Amino acid sequence: MTAGEVVERIKRNLGVPWRDTTYRDTFKYGGPDTEVTGIATTVFCSFEVVQRASAAGCNMIIPHEDIYWNDRDEVAIVGDDPLYTSKAEFMRKNNIVVFRIHDHMHSQRPDFTYVGSARELGLDPKYETAPSSHRFIVPETTLGALAAEVRTRTGARALRIVGDPKATVSRIQLGVGYATPAVNHPDVDVVISGEQQETDGMLDSPEYVLDAVALGITKGWIMLGHAISEEAGMLDMAQWITRFVSEVPVRLVKAGEPFWAPK
Amino acid sequence: MAVLSRREFAALVAAAPFASAGRMPGAAPITAEEIVERIKKNIGVAWKSDSVDTVKAGNLSTIARGIVTTSMATMVVLQQALKVGANLVITGQPTFYGKTDLPTSSTTQDPVFAGKNEFITRNNLVVFRLSDHWRQRRPDPLARGIATALGWAKYQSAGDPLRFELPGLSLDTLVGHVKNGLRSRGGIRVVGDPRIRVQRVGLLPGTTSIQAALKMLPSVDVIVAGEVREWESVEYVRDKVFSGEKKGLILTGRVVSEEPGMDVCAEWLKTFVSEVPIWHISAGDPYWRPL
Repeated sequence: MTAGEVVERIKRNLGVPWRDTTYRDTFKYGGPDTEVTGIATTVFCSFEVVQRASAAGCNMIIPHEDIYWNDRDEVAIVGDDPLYTSKAEFMRKNNIVVFRIHDHMHSQRPDFTYVGSARELGLDPKYETAPSSHRFIVPETTLGALAAEVRTRTGARALRIVGDPKATVSRIQLGVGYATPAVNHPDVDVVISGEQQETDGMLDSPEYVLDAVALGITKGWIMLGHAISEEAGMLDMAQWITRFVSEVPVRLVKAGEPFWAPK
Repeated sequence: MAVLSRREFAALVAAAPFASAGRMPGAAPITAEEIVERIKKNIGVAWKSDSVDTVKAGNLSTIARGIVTTSMATMVVLQQALKVGANLVITGQPTFYGKTDLPTSSTTQDPVFAGKNEFITRNNLVVFRLSDHWRQRRPDPLARGIATALGWAKYQSAGDPLRFELPGLSLDTLVGHVKNGLRSRGGIRVVGDPRIRVQRVGLLPGTTSIQAALKMLPSVDVIVAGEVREWESVEYVRDKVFSGEKKGLILTGRVVSEEPGMDVCAEWLKTFVSEVPIWHISAGDPYWRPL
């Protein structure tokens, strides 16, 4: 089957209308005519993921994020860098086709990025206040104990936390990727998410949480990193695709956490 | 969450020219507004009104008793400013949690916005942001601050203060040095093989785009940056490393990366404000991580 047929089946099974105005969810390398030998989903289409997918016999890669280190995947920005040339050259030689699924993954119900992250974090659906509220009321714990558990479950080496580790918390708002929810919601003790700019945003969580603590108001902020935050849901994406693509194998190829942290 | 230890803070207060600040002997009274006017006159770049560099809280007609510079005017920094007797705070980051930087939340009666604003008003503090113009000043005060904090002034490139040629060391050792020198806690994150030898270091303080990394990385071994977007420079360096290049990226966080520059700012203010004492108080690294 061709990459174009895979994309058509994705569109047909999505459950929400396809928006052709998306600049994200398009072919980033190759096109619809390529014959597909296998499909790899991943959060980041890193050079390593491309090579591992290819070695595993998957020449179609469906990443959640960009491939050329900028959201619009504008080649004009990166085209002069020899790394772009070698990544593109590898894909050409190995007949790779890359189709990104981002905007439509987030508008799909359920949004698998949340499903995957909640599962990985051990946020049981029985604790969610309503389906897709992404708010979980868990048995009381401390921010320190919660952070330690998050670290153990995700394996994140470069986890970052703001807040008092001794604070008692139970109301968790889950965010994914760069869609970090507002930590100042009165019904939220802790936000767990992927990435957010530190200052000059809509609500600068690090300073807000530091000040909340100074004013005696319980708040906590746990940043998993973008890759850790959205990787687990790409397994759900792979499993969903197997429901309507049986001709070729479909699997998750993990990008993994890019960071390490010193002691 | 004390940013300064009790001992460090006691030392800061002891080192203050006057424990409760106030005017220098014989000096004429000076308002916050007059100090801001002197900043505009001395900054060395044309002052733009379309900028985040404005007064964020308090009244500019307040008589200044002392000045504190900081990367981020958190409640803890404001409390420490008050303890040393300063009432004008010059901050690099927003005070009220966002680019709009207003003392009220747009949607709710938010207790943190309100509590901070009430604290500032009750104590007659004035908070002024100095960010856009400060980073445009030349030579780059953010680079100078980091060079001083890390003991790298002697390695600084004559042509580009953002670049350094260090005696060779491992990336791992470099990370430890940066962490200690910038007093980082849990905010530091690294991409790259810790065992590689590195020599050429480039700085990208603050928040920077993929274009900045694309431009700098080819001619350095390691970039030490404040913050970048993870889908941009982090993935770029990850791919570089995977393709066999001996490169690294150290992220310290934006607030931490701009803190040494605010120490430079305090020293700079002293060159044209002699009426009141001036301190730099670090906002510290907001982050921690479990062991």
